[in-house]
Amino acid sequence: MPCWYYDKKELKNTPSALDGIDYETEMRYRKEGARFIIDTGSKMDLGYNTTATGVVYFHRFYMFHSFRQFPRYVTACCCLFLAGKVEETPKKCKDIIKTARSLLSDTKFATFGDDPKEEVMTLERILLQTIKFDLQVEHPYSYLLRYAKCLKGDKVKLQKMVQMAWTFVNDSLCTTLALQWEPEIIAVALMYLAGKLSQFEVIDWVGRTSKHLRWWDMFVEDVTMDLLEDICHQVLDLYSQPTPDPPPDSPPLMSKSASLVPVSGKSANGQEKDKIVTPPEPIITNTKATAVTEIPSYVYPPTYSGAPTHAASFPPAFANHVPVTVPGPPHLAGPPPGPPPSHITAPPGVPFASYIAPPPHYTPVATAPPFYQSTPAPLPSQPHRPYYPPPP
Amino acid sequence: MLPGANLRDVNHSGSGSTPANHNHSVMMSTREKEKYIENFNFPFCDESSKYEKVAKIGQGTFGEVFKARDKSNPKKFVAMKKVLMDNEKEGFPITALREIRILQLLKHENVVHLIEICRTKASQHNRYRSMFYLVFEFCEHDLAGLLSNVNVKFNLGEIKKVMQQLLNGLYYIHSNKILHRDMKAANVLITKNGVLKLADFGLARAFSTNKNGQPNRFTNRVVTLWYRPPELLLGERNYGPPVDLWGAGCIMAEMWTRSPIMQGNSEQQQLTLISQLCGSITPTVWPGVENLELYKKMDLPQQQKRKVKERLKPYMKDPYALDLLDKLLVLDPSKRHDADSALNHDFFWTDPMPCDLGKMLAQHSQSMFEFLAPPRRPTNMRAHHTMAAARPTSSAVQDGGYQDRVF
Repeated sequence: MPCWYYDKKELKNTPSALDGIDYETEMRYRKEGARFIIDTGSKMDLGYNTTATGVVYFHRFYMFHSFRQFPRYVTACCCLFLAGKVEETPKKCKDIIKTARSLLSDTKFATFGDDPKEEVMTLERILLQTIKFDLQVEHPYSYLLRYAKCLKGDKVKLQKMVQMAWTFVNDSLCTTLALQWEPEIIAVALMYLAGKLSQFEVIDWVGRTSKHLRWWDMFVEDVTMDLLEDICHQVLDLYSQPTPDPPPDSPPLMSKSASLVPVSGKSANGQEKDKIVTPPEPIITNTKATAVTEIPSYVYPPTYSGAPTHAASFPPAFANHVPVTVPGPPHLAGPPPGPPPSHITAPPGVPFASYIAPPPHYTPVATAPPFYQSTPAPLPSQPHRPYYPPPP
Repeated sequence: MLPGANLRDVNHSGSGSTPANHNHSVMMSTREKEKYIENFNFPFCDESSKYEKVAKIGQGTFGEVFKARDKSNPKKFVAMKKVLMDNEKEGFPITALREIRILQLLKHENVVHLIEICRTKASQHNRYRSMFYLVFEFCEHDLAGLLSNVNVKFNLGEIKKVMQQLLNGLYYIHSNKILHRDMKAANVLITKNGVLKLADFGLARAFSTNKNGQPNRFTNRVVTLWYRPPELLLGERNYGPPVDLWGAGCIMAEMWTRSPIMQGNSEQQQLTLISQLCGSITPTVWPGVENLELYKKMDLPQQQKRKVKERLKPYMKDPYALDLLDKLLVLDPSKRHDADSALNHDFFWTDPMPCDLGKMLAQHSQSMFEFLAPPRRPTNMRAHHTMAAARPTSSAVQDGGYQDRVF
């Protein structure tokens, strides 16, 4: 049976690593692929579940294949295409490719070859076999909402905390956390982080017993502070990664010759040299936080214009109070260096499009996806003796 | 051990003179990539060649079904359902993905067990595209095949056992928020030991009880016509488990009549047959029916009396059986018995009690599938079955869109 969770050593020993791609580069490829799925998904109005499922397929895929064999943007499109069908929000392959085309530079799009649709279709079969047809994937979102419902305290603050945690969950997709920890644990960790940063201290919660030291003891067992902090670090590290300028190298597999669809083969090395100096097209539409370009390269949906008013009051609180009141662990002591990334400045509010927007309100905990885990049917109330007169 | 580790040789075999260190611009040629795909040993997806096809036993909603032998264990048989992808513009069919996901979720004695998904090896011959097979535990019979064989005789206790297992299966899948949407005798499998399994989840889907008050917008072009409930025929799109219970009622009657009780050849005719059996479809017996999309468009026979018991009495005799059938074939879906209340019916709790089918089936050494049975009537029933069942899927496939995927 495959286990989709890996330890850190395994994550450093991936097919890409064996193929000569160094760890940092692989992490960047993963991040770029994930962000591209998120951007494509939100541009196509796909929900957060579909997008997240696509990203998880993507990360799993590259535990078995190297980034050198399979160019990441093609794989990303393929993962989103499959996730759309699995999550019952199908998009036509050609529309996904069209959207990808609009988000990618010519050089990057060149990895799709002469017949991009064929390329994605062929890859879909490889993807399905690689992920063992394990189609159903759970995400931290539903747990986040479920847990939030149990926390007591100032409603406004709680909502802010949840929105912030929601954003962290979005961003966590760009890390390999989904390959390391169950969604429950990621949800707890990122709520912990958001609680710290938004100064929402959980003092009481529904269902508290004397055995509970922390609110999450109710939901997860044996989660140490070290573990939570490690998870938080992995997300926060995203924000402190400087954007290399120009990037150390260009994506692998630039040439058309890598196409699955037969095309005239040509050696790509020479060409590649030129491409290396080409900086990646900024795919950021929201230019407010150019200082930390890597982080907010989240494409806010085109309809988005500025932070929702209720979120505007958020950053000061974040910037001023956190370092003072939370001496805590170093990485939590203050905001990441530089101006806060734009998405933190403006945590997605209600008016956002489906992917980024947390559900309108957190109190009515969204019911878990229709199914993901079979429950044994409750015993029918038999043997029930006749409760209506037998027929004549 | 990382499954990808054995790839190294393949990876490097053709990367030319460039060292593999940090130059990521190295890439494979098409040929190398093809070779890579051909040689990649997908750790989680076995090759279908581990099985040996024995016979074709059916035609599912999205492909052929074969009986096959496990080469490593010749006594073990499986059913292999081929996933048809040739005319699929949108890649791996969404219907097959649904079936896989649903079957992975459902683990129950009375639901067919999906063992694994196998692939054919990608090679030059298939343009480096694998074919896929869903591999199921093998069941010797299907109910339609058994009922079409006059030598197979069910006594009352055995019929009860069949219906009890069928309702148990429905109770389980409905508890897991799954609708089968293609109940019919041919999709009810029975092992030689008499264990019933619901099969063919090719049209199944998850449902949720209208959260936030939004009605569901499911396609109503599901369920083989002869087993299709009146609400679907009248265009309801916000339906639920009762659609499967109607089919269960049709199958129950068929246990005695030995052939489907309402064999319409159009939606209109099906509604007429239903009205003639279950009485006129009116707002009196079914409040709200007047709001269904096709209520005014269809020609609904008036002044029909309900004759379920009267018409089936010559076949069924047992008053409890007749009473349960009467409660399953209820026009108004909200008044139709659900699986739980049906299982509580006296039919299952009075003598003769449900009894094991194993003994009776042991008299028959031949596998019985509807697909293999000789046509029973001049009207080729099999054609109807497949035609009607295939319609929703095939129309979804034809134009590459997802017209029928309406929720």
